[in-house]
Amino acid sequence: MSRFWLVMISLAPLLGATRTIVQAIAISLCACLLTGLHQALMAPLRSHLAQGASLWASALLTATLVTCLHLGLRAWALPLAEQLALYPLLLALPCLACEQLLPQTHRYRQLCRGLGGLLVASLALGICRQVLADDLGLHIATLAPGALILLGLLLGLYNHLRPSTTSPRRLGSR
Amino acid sequence: MNARWCSAACLLLLALLAVATTLAWQRFTAEPIAQASRQWQERQWLAVLPPGSYDNQPLQTPLALADTSLRHSRLLAGYRATLGGSPTAILLHNRFQGYGGAIEMVIAIDTHGRLAGMRVLEQQESPGLGDQLADPARHWLDQFIGRAHEGTPEQAWAIKRDQGAFDQLAGATVTSRAVIEAIQDALRYFDDHREALLDEARP
Repeated sequence: MSRFWLVMISLAPLLGATRTIVQAIAISLCACLLTGLHQALMAPLRSHLAQGASLWASALLTATLVTCLHLGLRAWALPLAEQLALYPLLLALPCLACEQLLPQTHRYRQLCRGLGGLLVASLALGICRQVLADDLGLHIATLAPGALILLGLLLGLYNHLRPSTTSPRRLGSR
Repeated sequence: MNARWCSAACLLLLALLAVATTLAWQRFTAEPIAQASRQWQERQWLAVLPPGSYDNQPLQTPLALADTSLRHSRLLAGYRATLGGSPTAILLHNRFQGYGGAIEMVIAIDTHGRLAGMRVLEQQESPGLGDQLADPARHWLDQFIGRAHEGTPEQAWAIKRDQGAFDQLAGATVTSRAVIEAIQDALRYFDDHREALLDEARP
């Protein structure tokens, strides 16, 4: 799996709730907390549940966790919760997807890599958007389409700078 | 068969636990949420008043308003800010139709009938055009500050395209017209109901 698989799954909260650096840190911490807790709680359940039932259990757990997170944010960090709007609720999707997509072997290593990628991507996006919007006055950076373009540019930059692990033969150049 | 029953029982137990946890958490957070949203609303509303211009808690004592249906808008509530017992400003909460939906604004008017400040509470205007109304960096609403209904002629309450005195938000003519009409409504209402609002009848 690519290092940024979790980024692709949690695209909506990532684009919607990274207007400022504070928002970006908050949403990525929420994502780490939710997926971490979800995986930790699912671990003892998996052996007791059949294949179909485990999906139901996963959905139930996700709903509970997301609801509790939403209420907690509103109770103790209302200004932040107002800024993040409904995006923390959308983090239920990556939670559910993680349960299905993570392989049986090296499960937690893959999860940590995914969460690390998400953290870095949202921080980079948050910093870029805040600088572009507030210091350079680029209005599009405050809107979600601008965030999508920016994320594309950032991923392109990452792919350009990353030392290639694929052999040149497979890339088509000799 | 046995494994299936075990799995089902497990799932049922989990469902009960999940519902119980959610309900307990909801009850636990109800009070902090109510308190936080009260504070949040107060901060939103009182931001329209200059700091230090009031020492009461205006939102705790809503005024009884008469004939709240204005020409272009509807008044939802009114509050009086006082400093040392004498009124310094009136807050009017009004709702009117914008381009994309209803707009709710809180408008502060000082005792001379001049606009002291205003803030958009709710709006569904077009992103990037009409919603710049609520963008604090745009300062479009600032052009109305200090205006009074008395000092400004009736036909000047319009955007320049309609031979008025005010700039419009680029690309949001309908929104601009609606906001100007609502502000004029609020100021006119203040002039008409001045005694009741400021409680001037009682010395």
